[in-house]
Amino acid sequence: MDRNWVVLGVSLMLWGLLFFWILRVERRVRDVEKR
Amino acid sequence: MLWRWLIFVWIAATMVVALLSAPLVPVLQETTRVLYFHIPSAWVTVLALGWSMINSMLYLIRRDLRNDDHAAAAAELGFVFCVVATVTGSIWAKSMWGSWWNWDPRETSIFFVLLIYGAYLALRASIEGEEKRARLSAIYSILAFVAVPPLMFVVPRIYSTLHPDPIINGSGKIDMDPMIRWCFFSMLLGFTFLYTWLQSLRVRVSRLERRLAT
Repeated sequence: MDRNWVVLGVSLMLWGLLFFWILRVERRVRDVEKR
Repeated sequence: MLWRWLIFVWIAATMVVALLSAPLVPVLQETTRVLYFHIPSAWVTVLALGWSMINSMLYLIRRDLRNDDHAAAAAELGFVFCVVATVTGSIWAKSMWGSWWNWDPRETSIFFVLLIYGAYLALRASIEGEEKRARLSAIYSILAFVAVPPLMFVVPRIYSTLHPDPIINGSGKIDMDPMIRWCFFSMLLGFTFLYTWLQSLRVRVSRLERRLAT
């Protein structure tokens, strides 16, 4: 497989995981703020 | 909510263009890819540590704990992005220089920045009492940031280094292929927005911690 696609795949996967983790943390913060 | 998704799409789209379409820098070859993550991380490090210093000064003037929240959050995030810059730089060094760590002036400088801000975080963790912690941390943060510009910008230029030229070279020009330049500045912007998001989130967490503690 082309190395560029491997690097892109890994980068997008890590970025996606980080992004959704931050969104999850923000949702939890919002829940606590509402209490 | 929309702007968060814009950050996601912006960085993801830049990754796609940078890794599939942008040419490689002749000297760097395959390691060119590291450039799109390493330099934006280093940029955000300086931005965050500068923001920490500004808020530390504001805290000492106003004695408002919201400034202390901002200063602490910025120092933490600056430290994290500094670790990212160090790790990505180390990966690049292994590929280009054959060793993960060479004590090159750039590497030594970033190591000192990590030590200085690691000590800041240890200092904050060791002091009881909000006011005292905020006051001492603010003084330390201001003194710490005095060391950052010389370590990040001056020392590596004084001593001979194997590190590639800075983005703005000695003649004051940006010597980059237009496509690489577009991807690079786009990633720089994306990282900056990501940092501002993380900063606001960390500050909100600090305020919640204080509210729950009282």
